[in-house]
Amino acid sequence: MRADANLAGRAQPSSAVLPVVWKLLRLRWRTTINSFRHAKTAAKVGTVIGLIGLAVFGGFIFWLSWLLLTFLRSPSLTQYVGDTTTFVDAVPVLIFSAFFLGILLTSFGVLLQALYLSGDMDFLLSAPVPIRAIFITKLLQAVLPNFGFIALFGLPVLYGLGLANGYNILYFPSVLLMMVSLSLAAAGLAGLLVMLVVRIFPARRVVEVLGFVGAIISIVCSQLGNLMNSGHNNNVSQDQVTGALGMLAQLNNPWIPLNWPGRGLAALGEGHWVPGLGLTLLSLGLTGGLFWLSLLTAERWYYSGWAGMQVIARKKQPAHSPRMATASARPVAINSLAVRLLPAPIRGLIWKDYLVLRRDLRHLSQLVTPLIFGIIYGIMFLRAGGEPPAGRGEAPAWLMNSFRNLMAYGNIGLAIFVGWMLLQRLAGMGFSQEGKNYWLLKAAPVSARQMLTAKFLVAYLPALALSVLFLVGFSILQGIAIAQAAYSLLVVVLCLAGMAGIQLAFGAAGANFTWEDPRKMNAGKMGCLGMILTGLYLPLNLGVFLGPLFLAALFSLPDGYGYLAGGVLGCGMSLLCAILPPRLLEARVNRLGE
Amino acid sequence: MPTPLIQTQHLTKRFGDKIAVKDVSFEINSGEVFGFLGPNGAGKTTTIKIIVGLLQPTSGRVTVAGYDISAQPIQAKAASGYVPDTPNLYAKLTGRELLSFVGDLYNLDRSQVERRIDELLRMFDLISAANDTIDSYSHGMQQKTALAAALMHDPKVLILDEPTVGLDPKSARLIKDILRQMVDRGAAVFLSTHILEIAERMCDRIGIINKGELIAVGTMDELRTLGQTGGASLEDIFLSLTGGVEEAEIAEVLK
Repeated sequence: MRADANLAGRAQPSSAVLPVVWKLLRLRWRTTINSFRHAKTAAKVGTVIGLIGLAVFGGFIFWLSWLLLTFLRSPSLTQYVGDTTTFVDAVPVLIFSAFFLGILLTSFGVLLQALYLSGDMDFLLSAPVPIRAIFITKLLQAVLPNFGFIALFGLPVLYGLGLANGYNILYFPSVLLMMVSLSLAAAGLAGLLVMLVVRIFPARRVVEVLGFVGAIISIVCSQLGNLMNSGHNNNVSQDQVTGALGMLAQLNNPWIPLNWPGRGLAALGEGHWVPGLGLTLLSLGLTGGLFWLSLLTAERWYYSGWAGMQVIARKKQPAHSPRMATASARPVAINSLAVRLLPAPIRGLIWKDYLVLRRDLRHLSQLVTPLIFGIIYGIMFLRAGGEPPAGRGEAPAWLMNSFRNLMAYGNIGLAIFVGWMLLQRLAGMGFSQEGKNYWLLKAAPVSARQMLTAKFLVAYLPALALSVLFLVGFSILQGIAIAQAAYSLLVVVLCLAGMAGIQLAFGAAGANFTWEDPRKMNAGKMGCLGMILTGLYLPLNLGVFLGPLFLAALFSLPDGYGYLAGGVLGCGMSLLCAILPPRLLEARVNRLGE
Repeated sequence: MPTPLIQTQHLTKRFGDKIAVKDVSFEINSGEVFGFLGPNGAGKTTTIKIIVGLLQPTSGRVTVAGYDISAQPIQAKAASGYVPDTPNLYAKLTGRELLSFVGDLYNLDRSQVERRIDELLRMFDLISAANDTIDSYSHGMQQKTALAAALMHDPKVLILDEPTVGLDPKSARLIKDILRQMVDRGAAVFLSTHILEIAERMCDRIGIINKGELIAVGTMDELRTLGQTGGASLEDIFLSLTGGVEEAEIAEVLK
């Protein structure tokens, strides 16, 4: 039997762009609905609550903006900071500019993934559909979540401004239209930037660098606020407010094209029809043109960028001689010391983990975080001077003395905090970081105990090094006595060991080997439980180490008794926590990854 | 008399209510290439993962080189090499570093490791890419790297899941030659494949698994007798035993 000849070539290629875009968007919508339908009940409920929460939040922002913008026009505020009209006029300009730049920046990362690293591009490009439709769909997919998120803040403020200023009705739909238009232009521009970058650097490397830089900037920015607040008076003067408002108002420059949408809409709302309609239409035309031009250019650039990426990836490697590469991979001194102390599988695992952690910037950003936190909190700690708060001077002298003694060990707390942050990542996710490569370890003749020992050392050694570095630095800066510094060192060494044991055990118990993105390798419930337990262990362990010192001071006993009692008790507790939890986990480790 | 290097006895694996492998028993002797065939989802990869020690059987017993994989996993794993169907390898290690790491895992002597790495890299034509990170390798190069890793310790038992997928003809031929050499030296090779021509030409004995059950084991001649398809190809035998004749007719319709 033969197939009907008419069946051959039945597929009808589509040349119309918009119907294909509609089909592809429907496909996307269908996958989203399917994901929701097949999700667990708790996830479904969470999603619904999240959506309701977002709607409520949008309403709250709207109400707040209305109140705030009405307040900005109030005579009482004018008395305090002068005329705020120029600032209020600048609000739409500031919001639209921030909106455009926000979409541009956030779309870059999303489009990089969507155009170069998602698995569906080959499938779509091989289908008989216009390439332009694919790009439009990808741009829309990239821009929609960011649009929703940024609009959640921007739209209520702009509508609140419209109501507070009594703008005419044309302003309100025009705001939405302008936002859509700006988003598309920004996404188109981001798409072009992506293709330009990918012509020079491999896409995966760009994603790693972006993740690293983004994570570092966000941590530094979030913590700089704390640092600034720690040393300055927080009261804002009248001059500062007036200066800040004036500076923001100055950004409303008519010659900057990015300001035209905001200025046009504000003029439109106030009923200045000629400048309003002129600037609004000009902005819509420019953004539409930019979007169209981006699409045309993207179609030309896409293939060359893609092909270039493959070549670059193969060219970029340094040309070492084979022997040199192996010899340089492991420092000889460390290697020879390790050979004597550790079996080859443990050495190999440690060496492999450090290489992978060092080379993958996505891991590295998680490891740099404790260092940044440590530096910032260290500066805050040193600024505080290590003195207990004086209060109203009613506390008895013995209490203040004991308190001062404890404060002198504040450097231990800081050093351990830094190490703890590093341990959360290295020990808590020590097994999870193996990901889909775990089969290689599981199929190899490596025992659970060897794996646990290797992972313990991979986590413990850098955390210890970082903590000791901080401890020594602060001890020198504070001029701490040798005996006290030595005891602090003992506390840090042992306390971190206990913490590493607990974190490692819980991390291994909840190991996740199916992640694609390292930020999603979190060990889940067990990881959280590990964090909670280390949170309990830390004060208890420090209490056991430092409590006897406090008591010795309280009862005027020699310091040596305090050091001895604290050392013995703390050492016992720390070693128990370092050894027992991983031991109990050995049987579980044998079943990991099944 | 040949020594059995892989033995499975009444092997069963359940995932919840689903039985992936049901009462599977077979032996593979030294100096033998054993082909493992079956339709998609028949239980081939599950059986392989149990033999390698990646999965625990629900019941039954597996011995590799005389060691029980559940009771003496370290000894059993030290005697075997494994190449999975999807070679997930540490993307940020170079090919050379990966092989060196594998050498450590198998506790090989360092000087021996260096020599072996060079040997394998040359053999698989990977020497020029040896110091490139694996994320820059093509699928075929990754497959060859995984095979090189499995051969690092010169195993007595080699287990390969779809070893020729993604390989160019030259590399596929190289693998066939290597497997034959290993078998000549007394090793046992267990390979699963969908390419029946490979199984027919390379394997001394063939096992066919369908819906978790081992429905036939034997040489080509024994399978012909079993399938009552005298003089037929392995494809005909396979289809007759796994009930794929209807699918073959459908395929004919589409020609």
